[in-house]
Formats: sequence, C-alpha cells, structure tokens
Amino acid sequence: MSDNVKVQVRDLNKSFGSLQVLKDVSFDIGRGEFVCLVGPTGCGKTTFLRLLTKLIEPTSGQILIDGEPADPAKHNLAFVFQEPSAFPWLTVEQNLRYGLEIKKRDKDFIDKQVDSVAKILGLDKCLKAYPHELSVSMEQRVVIGRSFAMNPDLLLMDEPYGQMDIKMRYYLEDQVIQLWKATGSTVLFITHNLEEAVYLAQRILIMTNKPTTIKKIMDVDLPYPRNIADPRFIEIRKEVTDLIKWW
Amino acid sequence: MNQTKEILKTIGFTMLSIGLFLVLWTFLAVRNPDFLPSPLICIEKLGQMMGRPISRVSLGGHILSSLRRVLLAVFFATLIGLPLGLAMGWSRKVNAFVAPIFEFLRPIPPIAWIPLVILWFGVGEVSKVFLVTLGAYVPILMNTVTGVKMVPPVLLNVGRIYKASNVQILREIVLPAALPAIFAGVKTAVSSGWMIVLAAEMMASRSGVGFLINRGMEAYDVAMIIVGMCIIGVVGYLISIVLTFLERRLCPWKTNLE
Repeated sequence: MSDNVKVQVRDLNKSFGSLQVLKDVSFDIGRGEFVCLVGPTGCGKTTFLRLLTKLIEPTSGQILIDGEPADPAKHNLAFVFQEPSAFPWLTVEQNLRYGLEIKKRDKDFIDKQVDSVAKILGLDKCLKAYPHELSVSMEQRVVIGRSFAMNPDLLLMDEPYGQMDIKMRYYLEDQVIQLWKATGSTVLFITHNLEEAVYLAQRILIMTNKPTTIKKIMDVDLPYPRNIADPRFIEIRKEVTDLIKWW
Repeated sequence: MNQTKEILKTIGFTMLSIGLFLVLWTFLAVRNPDFLPSPLICIEKLGQMMGRPISRVSLGGHILSSLRRVLLAVFFATLIGLPLGLAMGWSRKVNAFVAPIFEFLRPIPPIAWIPLVILWFGVGEVSKVFLVTLGAYVPILMNTVTGVKMVPPVLLNVGRIYKASNVQILREIVLPAALPAIFAGVKTAVSSGWMIVLAAEMMASRSGVGFLINRGMEAYDVAMIIVGMCIIGVVGYLISIVLTFLERRLCPWKTNLE
C-alpha cells in the first residue's frame, strides 16, 4: 500500500433484504485529500457514509484506513450530519471540546485546537452561547468545528449545507477549505449540488443509480479559491452534470 | 413604555380576578355562614392559628411536616424512578421485564394502598412517606422512559462515531437530552405528592396540613378547614415557583428556548 493512500474501499456491497444499495464499490482516497461524492437522489450516498463510520455493517467488502479495517475505536473518525447535531445542552465551546474530551486528549491540546477552530469559523465571539441562540448556519459551523478540532483521520460530511442559501453556502465552503488546509484532514464530502462539488473537491466520485457503483472519478485541477465563472470550472461542472444524468 | 403598560395590564387582570373571587366568596358566605365562613373570618382564623400551637405544633411546624414528607417521598421516588426509567428507556429487555408489572401497578391509586400500608408499617412516618412515594414515582419513571426514547438518534450517532462508551453515551448524551422531560416528571411528582400527603395525614397524624383539615372537620370548624385548604394552595404555588427556578438553573438551554 502506498503511504499516500489513507482510505481504501474494496468491493463494498450493501443490501437491505432483497434491495441492493451498493454494488462492488472500490476506490482510494489519498492522505489529506478532499473528495466529493455526487450521485442521483436516493442512490445510497448516506448509506455509504454510514458504512464508512461503521454505524452499519457492509454485506461484503472492506474499508481500510491506513491499511487496517476501519474502526472508530482505533481511527479518528468524524461525521457532519445533514441535520443539526450540536448538543443543545452544551455551549458552543463545550460542543467544540466534546469529541476531544471523549478521546481523553490532554487539556492544553484541547484548548489549542478549540481556540484555533473557533477563530477560523468566527465562533470565538459566541463560545458561551447555546446552539438554540445561534442561527442554523452558525450551529452547523459548531458541528463542523467539532469535527475538524478532532484532527480526524477521515472527516465525512453528509450534505452539511443542504439547508442554507447560496450566499451562506459559498461562505461556509470557503471556511471548510480553510480548515481542511489548516488541519490537513482527509475529507469525504457528500453533496447533490454539483457546483458545490466542483467548488470544493480535488476529485469527484460520481455514483450511479441503485444498485450504486462508481461511474467515474474526475480530477478537478483548479487552484483554490475557485472562481465559479472560470470557463474551466463551468466545463467541469457540465461534464459532471452530463455524467450524473439518468433521465 | 409599552412593556410597562403590558405589566400594569397583567397586574390589573390578576387583581381583578382575585377581587371577583373574594366578592363571590363573600356573597356565598353571607347566605350560608355556617357552611362557608367569609374571607375575613378565615383571615381571623389564620391569625389565631399562627398565634396558638395546634396539638403542640405551630402552624409553620405543620406546614414543614407535610413538606418534609413530600420532599422525602420525592427523593425516594427519584431514587427508584430515575434509574429504572433510564434502564427501561434504554434497554428493550429491561422494558419488557419491568413494563407489565409497572402497567399493572400504575392505575392503583395510592389511597387504595392505605389499609395495606397501615397493616405493614402502622400509622407512623414511614407509612405516610411510603404512600406519597407510591404516587410520586409514577410520573418520574414515565417521563424518564419517554425522555430517553425521544433522544434524537443523530445525537446518539455522534457519540457512537466518536466511540463514546455506553456509560459515556448514557451519562453525557441520554441523561442531559432527557433532563427536561425528567424534570417535568419531578414537577408533577411534587404536585401529586402534595395532594397525596394530605390524604395520608388525614388517616392518622398528629401534624401536617392534612391533620389541620381533619382537626377542623372533627371540631366542625369550617374556617380551619378552609385555612388548611388555602395553605395547600399557597404552598403548592410556591413549590411551583421554586421548581421553575430550579429548572431554569438545571436546563438553561430549554428554558431559554421557551
């Protein structure tokens, strides 16, 4: 195995009864890479992420992180869900510290991580607030911050900006890129928004309808920050759109 | 300015409602003075009761006696209801094991237990606290079970992904998420406990608000009965204020939301 490969997915299959959701999915994710996963609605993207985090078990196939079977106990995994998942009874700061405290990291390290993530995400002014006192986008930033603070081996993001307007999306996407660069985390980001995928990813995995498999892996060779009006950006987006069409 | 106006309006309506209630009471009392003494006579009675111990216990002592019984019973009810409710909400097996017995015992009112309780524990403090506990554990247990079952799955998944242990998930996610529901159960337990304690004190007691009402009944002192009833209302109201304050302290994220 090459040192640059962080995650290996091999012949992954998942069925629920007679319904086959995933069929022979195989790909690699490089260390520190930002990969987006796109596919038609209902193609099993969320199922795929849940398999990666071991929230559910595959029917067959393997997921390796650093050459070993993925295991949340051993590997540092983090997940940003579609729905708000900040703990309502914890303040912003306590939410940011949560994952690190569960993993019993030392206090100085936690302080440093939380401080740095809060600054990048603009949460340093509301550390004592409770999630319900924040807007939806701010709350999602808390969850994103909680995940990045962990310095995860693999960060999985499941359409985290689904509920936000376009202006807020671009703003948060820029922040995620900033955090990703600052922490060097490996990120797998699910979205149904193709423009978002082209804006964020170094590579895009395009999935088919059920039973889902990888249709194509596309490299996005554009520098950050990306310009959505750039002809090359538009060209890649069109290419992805053509590939995803099932009608 | 508008806010002051609103506050004044609210106070005005409260005063009006109390005033009308007193007028109606006085009106009825004038027509049937033997059955319903007027508010003034009741106030006079309260003054007498405050100045002279009844059965060698002061009025404050009677109130404290009842309160002590209720608080002790709620403490024991929480000790039983909280862990059992957490276990029933968390584990289907525990729920399957305990729920049938609980559902069978739940509809039996604590008052129906009185003969058995006297037989087992006599008429001392234990029997009174036991009776109140019987009524108080039900809302605590039920609310805890519901609170645990209502924890959003996404929050449990966060704990699982971070590989929190079951104890950590229970202590750091399930318990705080269920806390508002548990607290609502405790509030109901205190109110129903306050009602049951009177029944318990009326069976055989030398102290407590229930004893005062019973004494009033035996002596055909209707004013004393009404004063006892008013004390129940006022203390119940004060308890509710204290509990709301406590809830704000314990669940700031919930009360702020309201």
